Amino acid sequence: MTTEPIGLAQDLAPKGVMRAQIGHADMAIWRSTSGVISAWENRCPHRGMRLSHGFVRGESLACAYHGWHYDCDAKCHYIPAHPELEPPSTIRPAIYSVVEKAGIIWVNTAGTATPAELPDRLLGLRTITMQCDLSTAAHAIASAAQTNAALFNGSVNDINSDQTILSLANPNGTDGICILFQQPLAQSTVIHVLAHDSYSQNELIAISRWCESVRREAERIMQSSNKVEPAK
Amino acid sequence: MSITLYNYVLSGNCYKVRLLANLLNIKYETVAIDFHPGKEHQSEPLLKLNPAGTLPILVANGQVFTETQAMLVWLAQQHDPSCSWWPINNANQLAAVVQWLGFSSRLSATIGELRLHSMLNNTINIDSAQHGAKICLRELESHLTEQRIIGQQWLTGDQPTIADVACFPYTALSPDAGIEHDEYPLIRGWLHALRSLDNFLTMPGIHELHELGSTIRDKT
Repeated sequence: MTTEPIGLAQDLAPKGVMRAQIGHADMAIWRSTSGVISAWENRCPHRGMRLSHGFVRGESLACAYHGWHYDCDAKCHYIPAHPELEPPSTIRPAIYSVVEKAGIIWVNTAGTATPAELPDRLLGLRTITMQCDLSTAAHAIASAAQTNAALFNGSVNDINSDQTILSLANPNGTDGICILFQQPLAQSTVIHVLAHDSYSQNELIAISRWCESVRREAERIMQSSNKVEPAK
Repeated sequence: MSITLYNYVLSGNCYKVRLLANLLNIKYETVAIDFHPGKEHQSEPLLKLNPAGTLPILVANGQVFTETQAMLVWLAQQHDPSCSWWPINNANQLAAVVQWLGFSSRLSATIGELRLHSMLNNTINIDSAQHGAKICLRELESHLTEQRIIGQQWLTGDQPTIADVACFPYTALSPDAGIEHDEYPLIRGWLHALRSLDNFLTMPGIHELHELGSTIRDKT
């Protein structure tokens, strides 16, 4: 299992909780009040409630169901219905390796997270979910890069030669944007878009809108191909 | 000054009025209406007040309002001397606020209808409402992305307005309609910011943020 990008670091503020899925792994990712990030199996050991519905209290995540508190090491340290009880140390959700690098949250569900190498000076722009498969999304991105000379020079580089990170050069041929593909789900593909820090605000807005055009095009292609070839 | 809200606690539109009143520290009376199962909002006494048969209804100093957006405007204009929630001194921002008030109607017509269908089994065109809800949430997410690019946290500026209040409930309640927030990170951040405001008010389905004042249980 590889290390997957699951979101922009800036989209998970202190006291925030989010849900992410990689393959069959459903996870809760949360950031404590002091900023410590954790990625856990999205299941409270008590009753199986999704921990992504939980609340951050200081340096703990509290399950929304019965309020069991877990600290940043995933150890349960407080059970509201039994306030005097010292919970057994075995009560803990499964934890995943998570690191933040280059403005991205990276998770490995089966080993130590080792982020991909990215060009310098990139800043997180947005995460966007498309209702299409990965190849349709990649195709739509590549063709849209050819037709927007104001933002890109048309060259698309496959950074790690497995179509999971694409780099689009800006009009003068230097680093433009990077698009990171998260391992796709059955019905959707999640991409994380990073943009070079030399873009102006107006250019960043144009890139954000370009992403939406790409999504519309990718979903249009997906829908029309589904009509031609009904699900087997 | 007398303000009376004809209220149904599970209604997102009634909640908009209660939320703004709470945020602005406005005192008001409520009259609980048996929307379900009693359909009291469509009974003759209520129809005399509001022939449209909808909730909420606000009676403020004898004047009757039946449109939620008008209630928000009235409350803010009457009770916000800073003119930040209803920014009448800034034409561009004021128009943007009205733009998002209109958008909030689209949220009611899509997410709100889906939610009523989920909760009360109302008959609606589900496919059309789901498609419309997705278009709305994507538009909101993209707008909040652009706001972040220019350094603004709220829908129309660096302070919340009645536009944020109007768009908040049905966006926050979309899980009731089967639409999770997983795909919308900027929306999650905006909802969290609104719930963090002083004098925030909850409703069923929209909880408080528990970290406030609860640190006694944080042993670290």
